[in-house]
Amino acid sequence: MSTPDVDVIVVGAGPAGSCAAIVAARAGLDVVLLERGPFPGSKNMYGGVVYPRILDTLIPNWWEEAPIQRWVTRRSTMLLTDTQALTIDFRSEAWGEPPYNGATAFRPDWDHWLAGHAEAAGAQVLTDTTVVGLIRDPGGAVVGVRTDRPDGDLRAKVVIACDGVNSFLAKEAGLYEHTDAKHYTLGVKETLALPKEVIDERFAVRDRHGVDIEILGCTGNVNGGGFLYTGLDTLAVGVVLKLPKLAAQKKRPEEIVAGLKQHPAIAPLVQGAELKEYSAHLIPEAGLTMMPKMTMPGMLVAGDAAALCLAAGIWLEGVNFAMASGMYAGEAVVEALQANDTSATGLAGYQRRLSDTFVLKDHRKLHRAPELVLSDRVQHLYPGMVANVAERMFRVDNPHPKPGLRRILNEERKKAGVRRRDLLRDGWTGFRSFG
Amino acid sequence: MSIVACVKWVSHPGEPHDERFAGMSMADQSALEFALQQGELLGQPVTVITVGPAGADKVLRDALACGATRAIRIEAPTTAAGTDVATAIADHIADAEWVWCGDYSLDRGAGSVPPFIAAHLGAEQALGVIAVTLLGATVHATRRLDGGRRELLEVTAPAVVSVEGATARLRRAGLQHLRSAAAATIEVMPATTPIHRAEFMVRPYRPRARELPAPTGESPLDRLRVLTDAAAASAARGETVHLAPADAAARIVHALRDWGYRDS
Repeated sequence: MSTPDVDVIVVGAGPAGSCAAIVAARAGLDVVLLERGPFPGSKNMYGGVVYPRILDTLIPNWWEEAPIQRWVTRRSTMLLTDTQALTIDFRSEAWGEPPYNGATAFRPDWDHWLAGHAEAAGAQVLTDTTVVGLIRDPGGAVVGVRTDRPDGDLRAKVVIACDGVNSFLAKEAGLYEHTDAKHYTLGVKETLALPKEVIDERFAVRDRHGVDIEILGCTGNVNGGGFLYTGLDTLAVGVVLKLPKLAAQKKRPEEIVAGLKQHPAIAPLVQGAELKEYSAHLIPEAGLTMMPKMTMPGMLVAGDAAALCLAAGIWLEGVNFAMASGMYAGEAVVEALQANDTSATGLAGYQRRLSDTFVLKDHRKLHRAPELVLSDRVQHLYPGMVANVAERMFRVDNPHPKPGLRRILNEERKKAGVRRRDLLRDGWTGFRSFG
Repeated sequence: MSIVACVKWVSHPGEPHDERFAGMSMADQSALEFALQQGELLGQPVTVITVGPAGADKVLRDALACGATRAIRIEAPTTAAGTDVATAIADHIADAEWVWCGDYSLDRGAGSVPPFIAAHLGAEQALGVIAVTLLGATVHATRRLDGGRRELLEVTAPAVVSVEGATARLRRAGLQHLRSAAAATIEVMPATTPIHRAEFMVRPYRPRARELPAPTGESPLDRLRVLTDAAAASAARGETVHLAPADAAARIVHALRDWGYRDS
């Protein structure tokens, strides 16, 4: 058997890959971090909210140097119908101070920053290099990767696959039992430029404070959701769409984004903005249902490649799961190499760490949530029902006396065509997930 | 030191303030590729040289990964004047036989560094070359002239050749070379003469507006040909003169003034 060129190969310099490389390199291992783009983050289109609390141990006081756009101090959840909008709006000044909560960020900046830490820790970052396959020994264990460069084979004791949502490495290794389009959504996003002062005024924020708006009921007949985030002098507005529904409706995603931007509740917020960028990306949204086997002899999978993305309605998180899984993968590899055991047993510390921490605990707790949130009732019936209830509650209809909430609820439920038992079942599912 | 490739670390026109997008222009990549091919043909090492700040090490490492054997960076800001850049380079490659450059940089576009290097070295020059044939001791180069004409040059050492970006495609570096280049030593040297800041011309290079008569011709195609000068392309309107360098320079300046490119 050939001698390994390095101790660890990390494939993909996203949040998972860079965190894995930081941990492994700081432990003194010889680490190569391979990135297919011209620089870490160059292939990324994400412009959402990052929750970096997990970095507290890896990069103390990360907030003093992290390339964020705005600290999220306002979180809104919005229910839309064609003519109505019901918003639950929360703001906390505490989220605008250390140690902060979440921040809007551009991933090209974020990933570049994290990869810089990996390089500073001693990892060798090689860009413009695409991994095209795995090298395996006769027993099936992964012993390296094949790249698209001449003389492009690189051997290692362990490979950490952080190659994103369509992880060709995890699929080649057979870690995904099956993949199904229904487990994925398509995220499409427009980046709109507006002067900072205009954003501050429209969204009622100051300085580096920003807003995260998650929206339900804005995607027509296609199940999904919408979002609007404030950057420093940009807005990210877009939708996340369930793939099979999108295909069945034969609608273009940009039409759905255009519809969202024209909604009476959104249009004043984006009015006059200049379109700077349009991009799209797949998101692994099915949580536990779609997760692959996390380890095999000589290889671990982390981040989106391991479907570690939490899409549970009021929680839309991915980067924190990626960073955490990358860190735990790095720790497990260090442990395995110290024991000189890169078999599935030797790498089992990774699965143990995922199971013992929020990474899989959150997914277990919320495993029913993705299906519930993307269900037809939640998508197409409940927004209108709830908005109508609110409208009737707040409407002053004199000389008629105010109706009772129970009566309104019942009438609107029937008008929406929602069966009582379905409503109770969904409520119970929601309570079990979020309660 | 006999074969040298001069490259420049230049910002991307679309992202001029973001170093992540900076790199080597297509023209410099072509020049490097020809230098490497010539090195292989003659069995000689290839030195790559640049003038710039520490960030410019990136293009040198890229060149090393592709096969260059030595990398030199002359410490200077990115705003260095072209004449000073040429002087600094020439001082460090005095024994070079072949110097390969891109025809002009993306950020300035004057194309002045290659001829200045040639002047410093007392070398032949073939500038703005669109095709190259390497023939051992000589190089056959094709230059683009006005009116669709071409100039074929036989170049012998010592020479400076500047090439257009489409003349060659830089080879893809092997993975092991890429790894070793990342750890290779870059020789950082000071400039031997003072480096001045480039003075930029705010007026674009273009002649004064001239009144043109309406094109004549029976058909739209005929009139179009007159407008675009295509019909006259094959006619020998130029002249070949043999003059001393100073007289030739004066003749060129006179012609530029006559054509409206210079006011005085």
